[in-house]
Amino acid sequence: MAGTERTGSPRRIGVTFAVFALLGIVAGCSGRAEPAGVVTVWAHAGRAVERHTLERQVAAYNARRGPDRVRLTFIPEGAYNGQVQAAALAGDLPDVLEFDGPYLYTYVWQGRLRPLDKLLPAALRADLLPSIIAQGTYRGHLYSVGSFDSGLGLWGDRRALERAGVRIPKGPGDAWTEAQFDKVLAALAAHDPDGEVLDLKLNYPNEWFTYAFSPLIESAGGDLIDRQTYRSAEGVLNGPAALRAMREIQGWFRAGYVDPNLDDAAFVQRRVALAWGGHWNYPRYHKALGKDLVLLPLPRFGPRLVTGEGSWSWGITRRCQKPGAAARFLKFLLRPDQVLATSEANGGVPATRAAIARSPLYGPHGPLRLFAEQLREGYAVARPRTPAYPAISAAFAQAFRAVRNGAAPKRALDRAVRTIDRDIRDNHGYPDVAVTGRR
Amino acid sequence: MGRTHTGAASMRESRMAWLFCTPAALGLLIFIVAPFVLALAMSFTGLRLGSPLPLEWVGLRQYARILSDPAFLHALVNNLVFALVVVPVQSALALGMALLLNRRLRAMVVFRTLFFMPVVFPLSLVAVVWVLIYAPGPNGMLNAALSALTFGAWQARDFLHDANLALPAIMLTSIWQGAGFQMVVLLAGLQAIPGELYEAARVDGAGPWQRFWHVTLPQLRNPLVFVVIVTSILSFRVFDQVRIMTHGGPHDASTTVIYEAVQAAFDQAQVARGAAMSVVFFLVVVLVTFVQRRLLRQEREVS
Amino acid sequence: MSRPARTARARPRGRWRRPAAVLLSYLAVTACAAVFLAPILFMAIGSLKPDARVLAEAGGWHAFWPGAGAGLGNYGDVFRRVPFMHYLLNSLWINGLIVVLGLPVNAFAGYALARLRWRGRELALAAVLAILVIPFEAIAVPLFYELTALGMRDSYTVQVIPFIANPLSIYLFYSFFLGLPRELEEAARIDGAGVLRTFLTIVVPNAKAAFASVTIVSFLFYWGMYLWPLLVTGGPGVRPLPLGIATFYTLPPLQWGDILAFGMMMVAPVLVVFVIFQRWFVRGVAATGLKG
Repeated sequence: MAGTERTGSPRRIGVTFAVFALLGIVAGCSGRAEPAGVVTVWAHAGRAVERHTLERQVAAYNARRGPDRVRLTFIPEGAYNGQVQAAALAGDLPDVLEFDGPYLYTYVWQGRLRPLDKLLPAALRADLLPSIIAQGTYRGHLYSVGSFDSGLGLWGDRRALERAGVRIPKGPGDAWTEAQFDKVLAALAAHDPDGEVLDLKLNYPNEWFTYAFSPLIESAGGDLIDRQTYRSAEGVLNGPAALRAMREIQGWFRAGYVDPNLDDAAFVQRRVALAWGGHWNYPRYHKALGKDLVLLPLPRFGPRLVTGEGSWSWGITRRCQKPGAAARFLKFLLRPDQVLATSEANGGVPATRAAIARSPLYGPHGPLRLFAEQLREGYAVARPRTPAYPAISAAFAQAFRAVRNGAAPKRALDRAVRTIDRDIRDNHGYPDVAVTGRR
Repeated sequence: MGRTHTGAASMRESRMAWLFCTPAALGLLIFIVAPFVLALAMSFTGLRLGSPLPLEWVGLRQYARILSDPAFLHALVNNLVFALVVVPVQSALALGMALLLNRRLRAMVVFRTLFFMPVVFPLSLVAVVWVLIYAPGPNGMLNAALSALTFGAWQARDFLHDANLALPAIMLTSIWQGAGFQMVVLLAGLQAIPGELYEAARVDGAGPWQRFWHVTLPQLRNPLVFVVIVTSILSFRVFDQVRIMTHGGPHDASTTVIYEAVQAAFDQAQVARGAAMSVVFFLVVVLVTFVQRRLLRQEREVS
Repeated sequence: MSRPARTARARPRGRWRRPAAVLLSYLAVTACAAVFLAPILFMAIGSLKPDARVLAEAGGWHAFWPGAGAGLGNYGDVFRRVPFMHYLLNSLWINGLIVVLGLPVNAFAGYALARLRWRGRELALAAVLAILVIPFEAIAVPLFYELTALGMRDSYTVQVIPFIANPLSIYLFYSFFLGLPRELEEAARIDGAGVLRTFLTIVVPNAKAAFASVTIVSFLFYWGMYLWPLLVTGGPGVRPLPLGIATFYTLPPLQWGDILAFGMMMVAPVLVVFVIFQRWFVRGVAATGLKG
């Protein structure tokens, strides 16, 4: 177990963990001594079609009889982050690992991942969507690559929209403004029996709220955190722009426009005309609404539309003894045909331009080209690239819930800012203690 | 009942007692006490899960913070209210059910199993189903049932998002889930009451209510005290329902100490803060439990 | 309801009222059961329905009726999506070990606290109660550090050993042993039997109710354990059932039919344990030779 930990001077906790990890590895009863040439990979267990696709990809890779084989383990999605963090603490991480978007930075900061700059060819990196590179980069180095990116938008029921006489935006440049969106909602509510016309996916788990609604704060002119220094959210998350955005959102709840969506079927049952959602909704929505399904950009609260981006991506751990072999597997996954296969399975936006061009969904005439356009043309803003992200996300989700329940937006956002700022202060601003990157 | 042991015998008894306790003591010390002491130590630091920063000693800072945090204080109050309501109600319900089922009839075995069933389901699943039961709007199961029972007088409420109803909603779920558990214990206690005592009382002319007060309750004292103490301790630990059904809201109306502690330790990676909350929790509940034991004074058989 | 005839063994009032009382209690029990079990019935019926209908029909009478398209499809789904049998065997093995190893360990301690005289008994009892207060969530992380340092991870051992000594079981045994009539033990001790012998030959056979209750309670306590396996297991090798259900908690729409089917199947072994052992403790108590 030679010097992967040699870089940087030993610090108390670092050394303690190294000792624990060493003990764990040496005395561990899980028999993790890998035969040479095996690359261990962990992935989250998503839907059946996604899992099957990944299994097929691994089988295809292994069938090529290269110098190494991949061994894939699925971890339940509901437990994924917890298990990965626990494994990290125990020094038990695999060679290649999946991360849900912005949770990456915590792991980089903890020193768990290798930079990928030298492991992936420049041509490949150039072909990746800028959003993928943006998401995977921390303090100047690339630490993860995804084979797909996400699309966030507004699904619409064409029939209901036309019945209410509402203008249907044609592209990201054509998005409804805040005021126009209000009128849209009112018009739709007038034609709806219970007045609930908007589905905000309130039944989704925590991370959804930050992903789906921080773009509104950003388009209004606010942000989750000051991205110059990443030291504070004061004035940014609770500034006038963010407040305005939250008040507007609260207005939707107050007016009774929002369906609680407990059964996750508000849109497919046509109880609502508009549904906040993303690429993963497409198969089900397409099946339910057919030709009536339209994909719209989110409303913009300022001069320019902002939408979300980021999804699961792959990284190589420092523990990995054969980074070259691991990188070979990643390169395989990023080949156009593999990227397309993944995109077909989970409906995500293919990560490389080459694949997008060939994609039936995202190509020039595909029904989901809006998503690709948003990502290509820079309408999408990455979630804050900081190890404080889990704290930011939790704080924002809590603020959103409070606003949903009728709390004063100022109080809710102030509380979120206090929590975030304290987290960053407690961590001394997340200095580059373990991130060395071989400079 | 005087002393029946000589000096040597009582020494041997002492030694046997120590021997009897050793395996359990070892287990409890190594796997519960030691980690808790470690948690106590952690609560004086700034420890965060997985952080590469050096560990720093912060003294009482975590405690100062949590004791001035309105969410945590609200959680403490919620926990106390919760225990004050759930313990008597759940115990009374369990006793009632045990009495109903304490007959030597075939069907009662089936009913016994049926009443126990809520206990058997994983709490996370139960919570999810109750979210549906509490669904807002007139179509939610509870709203619909209450409306039917009150012949339409009931206005549909959003139980889980109403600051006044969120905690009671969780209480109801807990009572529903836990009553069967206590019923099992009380039923065993009831079964252990010798029939002769009832016969004697009946011969003496005691009616059913008097038999209950003078035979059943006294005989049931130990299991009953056990049930009350355990229910109250476990009721302080309420967590899964809060996590799944209300996320502590709205506005901390239903948050509890364990929920805040888990959020701190696992969602925000602030292990030290979570540890401080656990220590405060421990002190409060131990205090409450010992006051309870004093008041209830479980029968001590050893002279 | 006709009046029962006066038999030769006619007893005073109590007997005569019995049929009415029985009927009333049946009614009360059935009413209680209906309300009590509504959520469970909903789950059970829901596990038979196709996914889409589970939630759609949640708010009304249809929640309790399978209707068209119902069947065991979800159960088949569960077996296809996860290695259910493997997880089930893991859970049974882990839980079984915890319970079986825990019975002697906790019974001995409970007896010592209830019946034996020794210095520090009061303190030990107070300690057991205090330890019962400590929630698992508070010690999960330190325990994790502790056991990881010892090299224990991702095995059956690490999921069993920490839970063998259990303050709740000890307290349960203590309560039961307190309530046992002392005559038999006294008789044995006068006959010269030592403490250990008395315990094994006299007390244990007469405490079947206690053992049965503790079996049920501790089996239940640990069956749904989620946090600990989350921290200490990695791949599916020693993964228990509760972690398996996490597979189904992907991004919505959740497949409710599958989740409910999983839940129902997860519950079956505990129900079996309960059904078996509840008969034991009834029989065990009836077999107690002591009267008054």
